[in-house]
Amino acid sequence: MSRVLVVEDDPHILRLISMWLERQGHDVREARNGLAARELLRAEPTDVLVTDVNMPGLDGLALIEAALAMGHVRRGIVVLTNRWDHGEIRDRLAQWHVHVLPKPFSPARLSELVDSLATAKDGDSPSSVVASEPRPSGSG
Amino acid sequence: MAAAVQPMHDGPGTPTSRWRHFFWDGVLPESLGLCFVIIILSGFAGTYLVAEYLWKQQVVGAQRAETEALAQTLAAALGTVAADEQETGATMLQACGTALEQWRGVHVRALRWTAPDGVLRFSWPPRVPLVAGVPTGTTPDAGAARSSVVTKADVHSRGGAAFGTLEVETTGGVAGARAFVLWNWGIAAAVTLVVFVGFYHRLRRHLRPMVAIERNLHSYASGVEQELLTLTLSESLGVPARGWNRLIEQLVDLQRRLQAAPAAGAAQNILERFESATFRRLVDRLPHGVLWVGENQCITYANAAGAAILGRPDGLVGAALAEVVDNPAVVQTAVAARARAASGLSVDHTRGSGEQESTLRFRAVALADQAGGGDVLITIEDISQLRESQRARDNFLYHVTHELRTPLTNIHAYAETLTKPGFDDEQTRKECYNVLISETQRLARLVEDILSISQMEVGTARFDVGDVDLLRLLRQMVQDNLGAADEKRIDLTLSLPPKVPKIRGDKQRLCVLLNNLIGNAIKYTREGGKVQVALEVAENCVRIGVTDTGIGIAPADQAHVFEKFYRAADDAVQAITGTGLGLALAQEVARLHGGEIHLQSELGQGSTFTVELPMPAAEHGPLAREPAEVTTR
Repeated sequence: MSRVLVVEDDPHILRLISMWLERQGHDVREARNGLAARELLRAEPTDVLVTDVNMPGLDGLALIEAALAMGHVRRGIVVLTNRWDHGEIRDRLAQWHVHVLPKPFSPARLSELVDSLATAKDGDSPSSVVASEPRPSGSG
Repeated sequence: MAAAVQPMHDGPGTPTSRWRHFFWDGVLPESLGLCFVIIILSGFAGTYLVAEYLWKQQVVGAQRAETEALAQTLAAALGTVAADEQETGATMLQACGTALEQWRGVHVRALRWTAPDGVLRFSWPPRVPLVAGVPTGTTPDAGAARSSVVTKADVHSRGGAAFGTLEVETTGGVAGARAFVLWNWGIAAAVTLVVFVGFYHRLRRHLRPMVAIERNLHSYASGVEQELLTLTLSESLGVPARGWNRLIEQLVDLQRRLQAAPAAGAAQNILERFESATFRRLVDRLPHGVLWVGENQCITYANAAGAAILGRPDGLVGAALAEVVDNPAVVQTAVAARARAASGLSVDHTRGSGEQESTLRFRAVALADQAGGGDVLITIEDISQLRESQRARDNFLYHVTHELRTPLTNIHAYAETLTKPGFDDEQTRKECYNVLISETQRLARLVEDILSISQMEVGTARFDVGDVDLLRLLRQMVQDNLGAADEKRIDLTLSLPPKVPKIRGDKQRLCVLLNNLIGNAIKYTREGGKVQVALEVAENCVRIGVTDTGIGIAPADQAHVFEKFYRAADDAVQAITGTGLGLALAQEVARLHGGEIHLQSELGQGSTFTVELPMPAAEHGPLAREPAEVTTR
């Protein structure tokens, strides 16, 4: 059982992701914004971080920077964004080798991705994870 | 010389001018000269006959009077003599006949004395019979016969005895006088004819080239002759014809040179047009800059807009293009256009920064038909506004797609969840359906808002205008928002005056306006706060104020809150779901009703949005009589 931190300001999306990951047997922690997530991370490391980008307070990009700086994400980071077409966001995400799922995304695909990250061999760091090529629909 | 004589379709119109043209412009001597001479000669003949007739009448009348007087005198003398002796009378007549052969302009040709019984007593001269008397078989002289006059007179003695009748025949000088008249008339006619013919020839010599030139001009104007060389005249027509031919030669030479060098001719022609006052004014009033660049990359001509756009109001003529435009791409475009004889090559040049930034589009057009040389025409268009419009459109599309993705993400994810095994328990399915319904409604509202604001901005929105009872409308709006206010324990109140005139407007659009303002006030007010909706009637308008004790709006954001998709970067704002379309839509509705929305706000203290809707006097109409009331949550 892996610990997954889900950060999403939309309550419906947050609820759905939690529901899927819990049914996969993950220990899911929820946060509605970046500030709350950073506090949770600081208090307790997580295996996988699933985060939105555009959030009030601390956005997803700043949260990833903080998480990487703390080293409190053990397996990998999955980014959900509907601004993949934004050049600056795309460039910054590319430098961290994170997995990106453009919105609208497939919850099944997200669940598979989190599973694959959670079951990765010990010693893999988020920075070693090759960024997945985002797919428009995210299905599969 | 043009062979054809064209009818004068465009000749003088009025009868007077036609006759003037006929006589004055040489048509008469050219075409009817011979007829005119014949008419003149016929006139001479006619005048001669009339003059001869009148003269003859006068001469014969005088001859008759003289003959009668002579007959009376001779008869009286014969009566006196014959009373004494008849032979004496004959002798007297014999003497008189001989003596009076020429008497007072008449010639006595014959005398004849006849007795009362009809017996001829005496005849002189015996061998010449009287014309009126017995024919003798001898033909008299034709001229004399025409002038003969015979007069009779009775012969009486003093005592009254009748001695018969005396007939006297005279001839006048008709033939001689006729010859005199004929000679004089002939000489006068000959002199007149010579003078006329001389005048006619001289006039015709002057008019013939003019008539020929006129014919040629008519031929050219009517399109019958378009070749200039066919319009030359014979040199024999004199100086005007030679001058005309010289003019034609110069035109042909100019035409040949233009055909030989069309590009140079066109360029020269255009340059001359540019230099003319009319074209300079016309080109100067163009909104786009126009530059004429020579082969040396120097500006030959620049219109006023070009000088103004490039910041050189003192003029650009003579300056190098590279010196005026600090962008090598512009010069390269001009060079490329010249090298390829191309038109439509363009390059955008951005200058300045920040608010001073502007973008100019340079288009280069080669004027020569052949590549490699010639001048280049460059037009300059300030496309800053176009760029700004494109940027606003892109920004709008970006925000629209972003806002659409949020409900679409939920719909997609929850719909997929419903299809997966393991999520088919009743509670999960119910939860999924609820989210699908709410997100679908959210998506529909969003699309509706985007469509509404777009239609209102471009003026294609449909309005159902009618009388709107604001009292009822406000009560309904407050009632609709009571639930949301209740959730946050917000005190929502409505304050209305006793009488409010109905206004003209679209009730549904006004509902959207008020709902957005009241909904925003509740959304951005913390739990336990207050939202007050108040209506007051001013002189020419009604004011609807929505006041809250919410988070307020920073001064820097107040100028932008009515922009589409604008949301303050404040965390308190970002934490609340919203599209940034509500206020933009509200302001557009107010604007289309002739009103406006004012904002007063203090960060952390709250905001007041005041809607002013016009109330023209003609629209006051029946007042909505409603009691004062305050609706409290």
